[in-house]
Amino acid sequence: MTVTAILSDVATAPHVGDLWKTRHDKTRFQWSSLALLTPAFGLLAVLFLIPMGYAVYLGLTNLTLVGPTAIKWGFTGTQNLVRMKSDTEFWTSLWTTGFFIAGSILGVVVIGYGLASLLMRARPWMRIIVGGIVVIAWMMPAVTAGMTWYASTTGGGTFGTLTGLHNTNFLDNAPLLIVTLANIWSMTGFCMLVMGAALRNIPSEAIEAAVVENASPWQRFRLIVLPLMRPTIIAVVLLVALLSLANFSLIYIMTQGGPGTATNILPLYSYEQAFTFNNLAYGALIGNVMVIIASIFGVLYVRIAARS
Amino acid sequence: MTTHVDTNPGNPPELDAAADGSPVLPPENRPTQSTALRSLTTNTVLGGIGLLFVAPMLWLLLASVDSHASWGIEWPHFSLINFKHVLTGSLLHSLLNSVILAVISTAIASIAGVFAAYSFSRRKIPFKGPLLLFILFSSGVPLTIMVIPVYEIFARFGFLSLFPTAVFLSVTSLPFEVYLMKNFIDAVPIDFEEAARMEQASTLQILRRVIIPLAMPGIAAAAIFGFVNAWGSFIVPLILISSNSQQPAPIALYTFLTLPKVEFGNIAAYSLVFCIPVFVLYAASARLFREGFVLGGGVKG
Repeated sequence: MTVTAILSDVATAPHVGDLWKTRHDKTRFQWSSLALLTPAFGLLAVLFLIPMGYAVYLGLTNLTLVGPTAIKWGFTGTQNLVRMKSDTEFWTSLWTTGFFIAGSILGVVVIGYGLASLLMRARPWMRIIVGGIVVIAWMMPAVTAGMTWYASTTGGGTFGTLTGLHNTNFLDNAPLLIVTLANIWSMTGFCMLVMGAALRNIPSEAIEAAVVENASPWQRFRLIVLPLMRPTIIAVVLLVALLSLANFSLIYIMTQGGPGTATNILPLYSYEQAFTFNNLAYGALIGNVMVIIASIFGVLYVRIAARS
Repeated sequence: MTTHVDTNPGNPPELDAAADGSPVLPPENRPTQSTALRSLTTNTVLGGIGLLFVAPMLWLLLASVDSHASWGIEWPHFSLINFKHVLTGSLLHSLLNSVILAVISTAIASIAGVFAAYSFSRRKIPFKGPLLLFILFSSGVPLTIMVIPVYEIFARFGFLSLFPTAVFLSVTSLPFEVYLMKNFIDAVPIDFEEAARMEQASTLQILRRVIIPLAMPGIAAAAIFGFVNAWGSFIVPLILISSNSQQPAPIALYTFLTLPKVEFGNIAAYSLVFCIPVFVLYAASARLFREGFVLGGGVKG
């Protein structure tokens, strides 16, 4: 018998063919997996995907919270989009959101990185006290953080006492700056922990080699630490952007978007349109703008996180 | 390293040891005047940042134990009367609402999450890659921005109350919980499961007796994340719960600011009481992560 004949014999034998079909060394799809996945994906479909699709439609209708169009409402095409285009308050809100997010990213990343690298060289008791304070600020729920920042920056508050300007209302004088600082304060702890872990993962040989080569501290930072920290920094930047974009509670407690429209970021403007001015449809449309912005950050975040 | 040794041929750092046997640090790491100065600078800068971070918390701590509190910081007229006030009546009721909301939401997200995480970790699923990317995407995107369409759906079905709100809150933490638990289940050795499978254990038995106990630190950490997320949520109950008597603590805290007479001490005390479960749970989860896994000893040979 030739080799080919044996091979063809084996391949055509019925029991061998069956063995190929029912290989036991590879996992196959089991129907019970469907049962295990159904609760989670059912919840996500009903309370995430369906509302998201519904919001796209709602944004193009004339639905209101009260009045005749609360019951009899319908599709109005691009009417809301035309309104949005000439709505100066919306564009102001978009810029305010941009400043709030950019300022928060800058503050959180710079202070968070600085703290992480300083804490590595600090005395143990200093590490526990300062690290502990910053982490407690991060753990505090947004409503509590908003409340204590409101108390500290309003007229007669802690900031006034500490700076000697007793009756200055910092919150009224520089509202956007103060709420951005409050947001930085409440997110730095998270950044510090993540950056600290990433810094400890940098191989000490890389730094030692640079020291031997007479690299200056700035060169060591720019040529070794920064490239190795890049994925971590980008992930932190995107998470801070996403969390700041949705940070309704902190600003609502502190200023409710005011004074005027000074701190009216998109989630507050969306809420105001929907539930104060009763324009549910227009509020949903502003929400859709937020979904688009969040999706851009989200897709970038997935690309970074999936790589590591 | 070579350049360093070449420039100091008579004194290679590897061979240089003190009389007591401890290695001598290379010159740039020896504590000199300049490193002492640097250490002083480091600790001073850190102390400064620490003071800046603690400043906004001072009011919370001082006003909560001050019977004559205001927005200002001053030495308190020490008393626990504020805590006594906020732990009675409707304020206590709101705290209980918060507990109910957070417990229901945590239970739903953790149970649905552990099933999904297990199948992602162990099973062959069609489109597994894209589904995992979808989970990762929705764990980053804050799902609370979906609150207006959810309000419209809930209003139509008469769902504007505590329990449906808890279900929506569970969905906002579910993707991250699935992701976290999947990573922990991945680390459980497959050998335990195969041994159980040999003994004719069903999938549910394997989950209950093998996977859940062994991945408990991860499941607990995910549950804590879900609890804290629901506990601190403000805009979701504000919009989705129509009855005042079902409102949780964050809304009660906000209502303080809308009253004609501001009760400064009560606000501070209530804020602190509201923070305590979060601090305790975060401390517990940090411990869970630090302990990590000790499964290596479970598989022999």
